Amino acid sequence: MNCLEFRRHVSAEPSASGAGIEAHRAECPACARFQDELRAMDALIGRALAVDAARIHKLDAAIAATEIAARRPRWLALAASIVIGISVGLALWISLPRPSLAREVFDHVAHEPDAMSGTAVVAQASLAGVLDPYGTRLRPGFGDVTYAKRCIFEWRVVPHLVVQTPQGPVTVLLLRHRKVSEPVRLAEQGYVGVVLPAPRGSIAIVGRDQMDLDGIARQIFEAVDWGD
Amino acid sequence: MNGDERGTDVRQRFATLCEALRPDLLRFAFWLGRDRQLAEDVVQEALLRAWKSFDALAEEGKAKSWLLTIVRREFARSFERKRHEVADLDALVAAEADVLAAEDDAGLAEMREALFRLDDEYREPLVLQVMMGYSTQEIADQMGLQRGAVLTRLFRARARLRQELGISVEPSS
Repeated sequence: MNCLEFRRHVSAEPSASGAGIEAHRAECPACARFQDELRAMDALIGRALAVDAARIHKLDAAIAATEIAARRPRWLALAASIVIGISVGLALWISLPRPSLAREVFDHVAHEPDAMSGTAVVAQASLAGVLDPYGTRLRPGFGDVTYAKRCIFEWRVVPHLVVQTPQGPVTVLLLRHRKVSEPVRLAEQGYVGVVLPAPRGSIAIVGRDQMDLDGIARQIFEAVDWGD
Repeated sequence: MNGDERGTDVRQRFATLCEALRPDLLRFAFWLGRDRQLAEDVVQEALLRAWKSFDALAEEGKAKSWLLTIVRREFARSFERKRHEVADLDALVAAEADVLAAEDDAGLAEMREALFRLDDEYREPLVLQVMMGYSTQEIADQMGLQRGAVLTRLFRARARLRQELGISVEPSS
């Protein structure tokens, strides 16, 4: 199985496994990560489809039962009474074991190394397209943004930015869904980072390990308008 | 066991099945028709039909698939009985906003809207695969398609969602 065949296959079935799939995953980390990203996206799709059934079931059950009974034979009305009597209110939440936040952040940054090497400044409209749905803006002083995409992170869509600083490019992930009670420091694979508590969730800031991250992180943190 | 006791037992088994599966049936019907009123009606009618032919269900382990098939047929019948007006998508989204809402999770709400706006031919197999856990062959059987056609639809469904949401999943390396 080559990369194209693998990607076609897993794009239709992200959960696909088997000897051919596993063999290609083992020899091609980029394709393995591609499948992992699709699986993460499917988890998000699954959460999105799991709407609250109680919100769909808005009709007055008693009225519905009366209407059905009036136009159905008695034995069907009996069935209706069984059906109508059933309560709904199930809310589905995916509860899967999660890797550590640090691992997720580093894996994500390492997964897109080219994001750090770009130098062209992202157009304001493109940046707005990434941030507006999040209700977030960047104040002056944030720095030039050279990468802005919406990525799947922990089964959620999050803005992924790269901002140029005097000490080099820094990756910024805006994690509204992830609350941390205190700063979480990260250091691995030639990167340093910190996840800071934010007005809504948290913000992860990652740079190369030779930089003084604290000053940069403070500046970036203060330049994010969370819309609250 | 006399006739009454047997009837009571059957009713209880049916009620137990419905209690467990009705939320999924409602969700399936909702994503099929994008209308909660229609979903409620379709599931109601489908369960009445299911009760009528409950004896035909050989294995209760296959009840979910059996009921989904009935819901799908009932959905098709509803279109035969009544010509549903084709509303514009923005109006549909607005009408079902509170079902699609995801408080405090903008990404989830956006995904719901993107799924809502997906063409029927792409949305249904995706719902069957992701929400119902069907294999591509089972989807093909359910929809009366070749497996290859199902794979193509699933591929395109995800591509459209990524495009609609601007989600990057392609590794740059």
